[in-house]
Amino acid sequence: MNQNMAAAMELRCWGGDWGLPSVHTESLIVLAYTKFAGAKVTVSPVDWTWKTLTATVPELLCGDSAVQEPTPIVNFLRKQRFNADFELSARQGADTMAYIALLEEKLRPALLHTFWVDAENYANLTRPWFASRSPFPLNFLVPPRHANIALSRILLTKGEAPLHRITEVEGKIYSDAKECLNLLSYRLGTENYFFGNSPTSLDAFVFGFVAPLYKAGLPSSPLQSHLRQLDNVTRFCDNILAVYFSSDHPYG
Amino acid sequence: MSLAAEAFVSQMAAAEPWPETATLYQPLKEDQILLSDCASSLAVQAYLRMCGLPVQVVCRANAEYMSPSGKIPFIHVGNQVVSELSPIVQFTKAKGHSLSDGLDDVQRAEMKAYMELVNNMLLTAELYIQWCDDATAAEISRPRYSSPYSWPLSNILAYQKQWEVRRKMNAVGWGGKTLEQVYEDVSQCCQALSQRLGTQPYFFNKQPTELDALVFGHLFTILTTRLTSTELAEKIKSYSNLLSFCRRIEQTYFEDKSSS
Repeated sequence: MNQNMAAAMELRCWGGDWGLPSVHTESLIVLAYTKFAGAKVTVSPVDWTWKTLTATVPELLCGDSAVQEPTPIVNFLRKQRFNADFELSARQGADTMAYIALLEEKLRPALLHTFWVDAENYANLTRPWFASRSPFPLNFLVPPRHANIALSRILLTKGEAPLHRITEVEGKIYSDAKECLNLLSYRLGTENYFFGNSPTSLDAFVFGFVAPLYKAGLPSSPLQSHLRQLDNVTRFCDNILAVYFSSDHPYG
Repeated sequence: MSLAAEAFVSQMAAAEPWPETATLYQPLKEDQILLSDCASSLAVQAYLRMCGLPVQVVCRANAEYMSPSGKIPFIHVGNQVVSELSPIVQFTKAKGHSLSDGLDDVQRAEMKAYMELVNNMLLTAELYIQWCDDATAAEISRPRYSSPYSWPLSNILAYQKQWEVRRKMNAVGWGGKTLEQVYEDVSQCCQALSQRLGTQPYFFNKQPTELDALVFGHLFTILTTRLTSTELAEKIKSYSNLLSFCRRIEQTYFEDKSSS
């Protein structure tokens, strides 16, 4: 029944580095959720293939259907009875939606800026990494494409008309992101996960957003320094890495 | 506003008490204002009423251009101009009026998360329905948005706004959604709000906060605005505690308004 379908699930995502199974936030969210829900997926990294340009990553292939983007993939896995949230109350399910919205609105713009728009980080870390993982000649195309998408996303959602300049919004998005990290820290408290003792989809989302910022070797990032001061959040990431992504089987 | 300007405004704000002549500007009510702007404006009005701060509502055709950030509504208090709910909340806090002081850190985190949920889902859905759905855009949004202007300016402004909103929808990944998917997202958002509210009078039990104002603004506007189809309002009506929540706030804070 479902076991047969489960064996045939394949996940396309970006590869790993810096101690993480994947450096790409969306891919990391899905990888973490599959671990939490106990779903067996074959992970095919798109590194060094033409899929770095052509495919939308992450993508879950199961039989005839292909699902993209973290939220639809998580919903799809839930329908396949891989549900990490079944023990949550209705109120906790509502809280999950709210906190994911908080991450999207307050943290994502600053993360996009840190990795893709900040000149020093982009030139020294992000572009070399993605260029080295793309086949020639895509190494010239893939990083700038991501950088343009990131910049336009920040400006369109946070830029204030009529002056769409990045410098004006930088201060605001970073202060929003620091506040968001603080709020996550307050909510997490001393627990291992956000809802009790077993991880849920919210933990997957928070892990996906926070872990790259925590682990990447960014040359200049006040946001990373701020994150490293939040002990419970960094402990949260390390705990998930140790329990679910130990070095013996990085992909499961 | 940049951070330095915000800090300066806060300092200036703290110096003076709330004047009687505070005004809130929004587009023309009968002919011009659209669903999303009306919702945001109502949210700010509800918040100010909850704080007990008097404000006059003034309708201007060029309110959007007068606003410092290009977004509706904005308030003119003393010699400062502040737009959008979050900066206005901070502004009133600097003057010593706040609804969320009694919350602890975890509750405040929850409140902010739910406010982002409303912004992320309800506001984006409103914008989508207004500008990305061709039927609504042609019948309602474009005519209303351009009603104060004569041709050809009306056409140019309406299409420019539509193009701008569609670009934004594409950037946040809503460009590929169908109308049914958007309605479904609204339904899930309302379900989350309904479950969080439960049987309490307000989201944080006895006292209203800015979250209550924001949710009221959006839900009440959706319920009382005529669109091409009633499906959006129907989604909300299926949650009875949200309906009684809206009615309660309307009766408590807006009972002297002649029209809503």
